Amino acid sequence: MKVTLKLAGAFVHAAGFSHKELDVEPGTTIADILAALAIDRGRPMVIARNGHGVGTDEEVQAGDRILVSPVFSGG
Amino acid sequence: MDGWTGQFLRVDLTNRTHRVESFSEEFAHTWIGGRGFAAKILYDELAPGIDPLGPENKLVVAVGPISGIPAPNTGKTIVAAKSPATGGYGDGNLGTRMTDQLRKAGYDALIVEGRAASPTMLVVDDDRVEFLPADEVWGKGTIETNEWIYARYSKGAGVLNIGPGGENMVHFAVVRSLEGRSGGRPGMGAVMGSKLLKAIVVTGSKPIPQAFPARMKELGRDDLREVHRIDKEAGWSLQGTTGVLPWCNEVAALPVHNFRGTHHPDAWMVDGERVHAARVATYGCPNCTMRCGIAVLDDEGREAEVDYENIGLLGPNLDLYNLAEVGALNYLCDDYGLDTISAGGVLGFYADAVERGAAPGEPLFGDINAFKKVLGQIAHREGEIGNILADGTLPASRAFGHGSEAYAMQVKGLEISAYNCKFIPGMALAFGVSPIGAHHKESWIITYEVNQTPRESYGRDKAQKIVDLQRIRGGLFESIITCRFPWVEVGWGVEHYPIYFNTITGQDWKLEDFWPISDRIYAIIKLFWLREFPQTDRTADYVPDAWFDPSFADTEGPIAGRILERDKYDGLLQHYYDIRGYDTRGVPTRATLESLGLAAEAAAAEAYATLT
Repeated sequence: MKVTLKLAGAFVHAAGFSHKELDVEPGTTIADILAALAIDRGRPMVIARNGHGVGTDEEVQAGDRILVSPVFSGG
Repeated sequence: MDGWTGQFLRVDLTNRTHRVESFSEEFAHTWIGGRGFAAKILYDELAPGIDPLGPENKLVVAVGPISGIPAPNTGKTIVAAKSPATGGYGDGNLGTRMTDQLRKAGYDALIVEGRAASPTMLVVDDDRVEFLPADEVWGKGTIETNEWIYARYSKGAGVLNIGPGGENMVHFAVVRSLEGRSGGRPGMGAVMGSKLLKAIVVTGSKPIPQAFPARMKELGRDDLREVHRIDKEAGWSLQGTTGVLPWCNEVAALPVHNFRGTHHPDAWMVDGERVHAARVATYGCPNCTMRCGIAVLDDEGREAEVDYENIGLLGPNLDLYNLAEVGALNYLCDDYGLDTISAGGVLGFYADAVERGAAPGEPLFGDINAFKKVLGQIAHREGEIGNILADGTLPASRAFGHGSEAYAMQVKGLEISAYNCKFIPGMALAFGVSPIGAHHKESWIITYEVNQTPRESYGRDKAQKIVDLQRIRGGLFESIITCRFPWVEVGWGVEHYPIYFNTITGQDWKLEDFWPISDRIYAIIKLFWLREFPQTDRTADYVPDAWFDPSFADTEGPIAGRILERDKYDGLLQHYYDIRGYDTRGVPTRATLESLGLAAEAAAAEAYATLT
């Protein structure tokens, strides 16, 4: 199934892309996606799935839009 | 007195006199410095009801015990006065060489009184004070004025100046310094302008008194390197504050079309990735190793320094998605000496009012040239519209009428920063209870709230988080003084700051020792507001009606149909008051004031209001 992954902030530069269409198996979690793309989960991050804050153990669904951003704490 | 110079410099522009005043160690330990000094001085010395743009108002430029000492991000100075935007206490911080130069000149605060007879540049060199003519640059932008000053003094001088916005007493005119630093959103630049004070230049040659200077030098050097290393590793300054824009857009927190929208498909065109790609220069404050001032070229090829706030409000909030055009409005605001956040709020409000038939004029949304023209009219108070808008959204909404006050996006007269809280209750409350009007600097809980709490919750935990953040950001950081970014953006531990404080002052304070002082500072600011508005009630801490209006709700996207609920917001506000020890009006109780060492102020307050 297809999902869209969007990266923000420093993750863009670390991963070398800002958005990507991914083809994943049912049951795939956001943590699985991050691991597959070698995105460092040790970095503080905030994740939104279709605009709602979620954790990395969230399973993705077909058509999801996932945003992974560093934690920002205030301009 | 290690850590403080122990002296204020008081300058009277009317009589062109000055005097040096001493303050006690007890005073220093009670108020620390920066915002603490400014709030106490203004509370003690300003008579209630004075015209903020009259000679009776005072401008306080204040630093703190760690200010200017080489250590992570200590280059900040506070500028404070009674605000023409709000009628209450106003302040702001800005990165500037004024910070270390004022201390080296021998002062922890500069208090400017009166009104000059003609445009003046105040020049302080250690003990020497001069009042020099500034007619040559009166009417000039802040960029040319800075160059004019630098041609006469070294670039190491501490310089604060204003542009036409301040000269014309635009209520959201700021004080400017260096190449892109601004501070004092609630009209501190207008207060300078009202005094015909074009610029302040300070140079000093004295050592800053420190208890353990050698230890501090080593500690500061090592920690500056470490913050730099952490930032490089995290990559925060690659995009600086602009990196947050995609997240705000994704979770429906971006101001779009005067806050009517919360997200937009074109927002990526002005996000941090685009800013990074367009970067032509980087600017930073003194003693900063994670510089966030990213300059891009505007539509006329000029360097424009951008950040998240000004992109959000001068970009999507105005339906502008061209980075060079957004940069142009930023450049103009900086040169006029106008606050970019409020300018974006005012322009968005006016465009909205025109669209709804509440204000005269041609459609503006999405039209860069129209916005440039109106911005110039505001800075110079040209024409009826320019003059009305120069007073800010709240007075403008009252002038336009037709119900436009509901969508004047401000709190207490200060325009809301670039976080659209139509369905983010805690962040909305943070704007509501900010002590200077709607500003994000005090308590930025939005990522915590959206990611770690149920977004729809109005629970006490959110009010407690706001108080916790106010104590750190609005109290500790604004009084010692330091930039909040190492802590908030790259995780530099807050426990480092008492170490700096103790090394410089010779004290042995723990982190928790600062919280009562933070609370004391917030309480005396509350008393300042109470004295100006004795009939105040809790509605002063409410956010705009639009955020409670179902017709303002998104019609699509992640928060479609959702909006703040007034009764629940009121409950959240009460949680905040309960934690703070304030009564149902939002006024500190007598017991709270006494517990904070403000018994005398409590007794004085009885003359103009009732305490419970």
